[in-house]
Amino acid sequence: MTAYLSLYLFAAVCLVLLAGYPVAFSLGGTALLFAAAGTVAGHFDMAFLHALPSRLYGILTNQTLVAVPLFVFMGVMLEKSRVAENLLDSMALIFGRMRGGLGISITLVGMLLAASTGIVGATVVTMGLLSLPTMLKRGYDPGLAAGTICATGTLGQIIPPSIALVLLGDVLSSAYQQAQLKLGVFSPDTISVGDLFVGALLPGLALVALYATYVTVIAWWRPERAPAMTHEDLATVMGDRHILSLLLSGLLPPLGLIVAVLGSILMGYATPTEAAGVGAFGATLLAVGRRELTLARLQDVLRQTTRVTSMVFLILIGATIFSLVFRGFGGEELIHALFEQLPGGAMGAMFVVMVVIFLLGFILDFIEITFVVVPIVGPVLLAMGLDPVWLGVMIALNLQTSFLTPPFGFALFYLRGVAPPEISTGAIYRGVVPFIVIQLCMLGILATWPTLATWLPGVIYGK
Amino acid sequence: MPNRLVALIDLFIRRTGEAIAWLTLAMVFTTFAVVVLRYGLEIGSIALQESVLYMHGCVFLLGAAYTLQLDGHVRVDILYRHMSERQRAVVDLLGTLLFLLPMCGFIAWIGWDYVLQAWRIREGSGEAGGLAYVYVLKTLLPVCTVLLALQGVAEALRAIGRLLGTPAAAAPLK
Repeated sequence: MTAYLSLYLFAAVCLVLLAGYPVAFSLGGTALLFAAAGTVAGHFDMAFLHALPSRLYGILTNQTLVAVPLFVFMGVMLEKSRVAENLLDSMALIFGRMRGGLGISITLVGMLLAASTGIVGATVVTMGLLSLPTMLKRGYDPGLAAGTICATGTLGQIIPPSIALVLLGDVLSSAYQQAQLKLGVFSPDTISVGDLFVGALLPGLALVALYATYVTVIAWWRPERAPAMTHEDLATVMGDRHILSLLLSGLLPPLGLIVAVLGSILMGYATPTEAAGVGAFGATLLAVGRRELTLARLQDVLRQTTRVTSMVFLILIGATIFSLVFRGFGGEELIHALFEQLPGGAMGAMFVVMVVIFLLGFILDFIEITFVVVPIVGPVLLAMGLDPVWLGVMIALNLQTSFLTPPFGFALFYLRGVAPPEISTGAIYRGVVPFIVIQLCMLGILATWPTLATWLPGVIYGK
Repeated sequence: MPNRLVALIDLFIRRTGEAIAWLTLAMVFTTFAVVVLRYGLEIGSIALQESVLYMHGCVFLLGAAYTLQLDGHVRVDILYRHMSERQRAVVDLLGTLLFLLPMCGFIAWIGWDYVLQAWRIREGSGEAGGLAYVYVLKTLLPVCTVLLALQGVAEALRAIGRLLGTPAAAAPLK
C-alpha cells in the first residue's frame, strides 16, 4: 500500500489540476500536503526537501533557460507589431492565385511564426483571428480551414527555435546525464538545446510538407473546398501598393530575422540564448522600422513577456517541489521497477510512455509535461539505451498530436474560442482528423527510422 | 477595510510588476551587447552575462505576484471554464489557502538558512570576473514568496467577496 504512495501523489495532482487552480501552485501545494501527511505518518523523510533551495537556485542560474524570456519577447514583439498580418498578405500574393494557395500560405506563415513563439495557444489564437475569417470569405470549407489552422498552430512546438524545445532540451540534457551516471559512465556525453533544435528540423519540415501536400490534393480533388483567390481579392490585398514593395516590406524582414536566428544556432555560431537575444533585438528594430512601436505598445510587449516568463518558471518551481516529493516517496524506484517488468524492453517502455504522454496531453500543456513527466521517465528510458534527441522529438511530435485530438485537444479549444459561431464544433473535429492521420504517420515514420531525427545533428555537430 | 487593503496590495504589486517588466528590454539589449562584444570585438564579459541572469531572475520571481494578479498563471481550464462565478470563487479561495500560501511559507522557511548563509559570507560568483552579489540573487527567492503571499491574501479576500456577493475591489483590469 505505502509502496504506491508516489503514484497516489501523481493521481492526486492530476485530479487537483482539473479543479482549475493555477498549475504552478497546485503542483507544489499538493506535493507539500502529501509530504506533510507523509511526515506525520512516518512514510516521508523531510530530508528530501532540503535539496529545494539549491534546486531553486539552479533554476535561477540556468544559462540555457534565459533563452525563454528572450524568445517570448521576440514572439510577442513580432505579433504586436503586426508582422504576422503583413506576412500573411505577402504569402497570399505569392500563392493566392492557385487553388489551395491560401491554405498553403497559412501553413508557411504558421511555421515561421510558430517557430518564434512556440506557445500553442497563442499561435492558434493569432492564426485563427487572422486567417479564419479570410479563408471563410474566400469560400474555403470550414472544416478544412479550421483543421489547417489548428494543425499549423501546434506545429510551433516542433519547429525550432520553439520555447517548448528549449525547455525539453534542458530537461533531457540533465536526464541524459543522470542516466549515464547510473550506468557508470563518468565522462558522460551531453546533449544540448542546439542538438534538439537540429534534430527536430527535418521532422518538422517534413510535417509542413505533408500538410501542404494534403491541402494541395484537396484543392485539386475538390476545388470548391479550397478555391483560388479572385483577381478582385488579390487587388484588395494589394491596395495601391506595388507588389514588389509589399514583398520587400512584408516578407523579407521577418523571414531574414528567423533564418538568421535559426541559422546562427544551427551553424553553431551562437548559443540559443545569444541567438534569442539577437532575434528579440532584431524584432524590436523591425517594429521601429515599421513605425509600429508606440510607447504603449512597447509596454504591452514588456508586460506580456514578463507574465509569460513568470508563468513558465513558476511551473518549473512547482514541478521541482513535486519531483522532490515524488522521489521522497520512492517514485523513481517504482517507475524503474515497472519499466523493467514491461515486455518488449526499451521499445515496450517507450510505447507505454508515449501512450501515457498522449493521454496526459489532454489535461496538461507542453510545459507541465516537460517539467513533471520527462524528469521521471527520461532517465529510465535513456538508461535503456534510447537516443536522447530521438526521444525528445518523439515526445514533441506526440504532444502535438495530442493537442489536436478531439474532444480534449488544447488547440481545438483555443480555435473554438475565436471561431465564429456558424462553424460547428463538429466541423472543426472533422477538419482536424486528416491532420491527425498525418501526425500519426509521421510518428510511425520517425519510430521506424530514428535517423530522420539523429542524422542531421550528427552531420552538423559531428557526433 | 478589506476593500482598501485589496486595492492597496493590487496597486503596490501592479507598480512593482510594471517596473520589473522594463528589465526584459534591458535583458534584450544586454544580451545583444554581449554578442556584439564577443563576436565583433572578441571581448568576453562574464559580468555582463551574469547581469542578464540576474535580470532574468528578477523578472520571473518578482513578476510572479503581478502575473497572479492578472490571472497569468496558466490553469487547466477544462472544467473551470464551465463553472459558475461562485464555484470559481471557491476554487480560487481553497487553492490560495491550501496551495499558494503554504507553498510560499514553505519555500521561505526551508530557504531561510540557505539565504542567511549566503549573506553571512557575502557570497560572490563562482566564476572569475563574475558579479559579487550571489547573496542578493538568492534573496530574490524569499522576496518572491513575500510578494506572492501578499497578492495571495488579496486574491483570497477577493474570492470571499465574490462568494458573499460583495465584490472586494473587483478584479483588476487586464
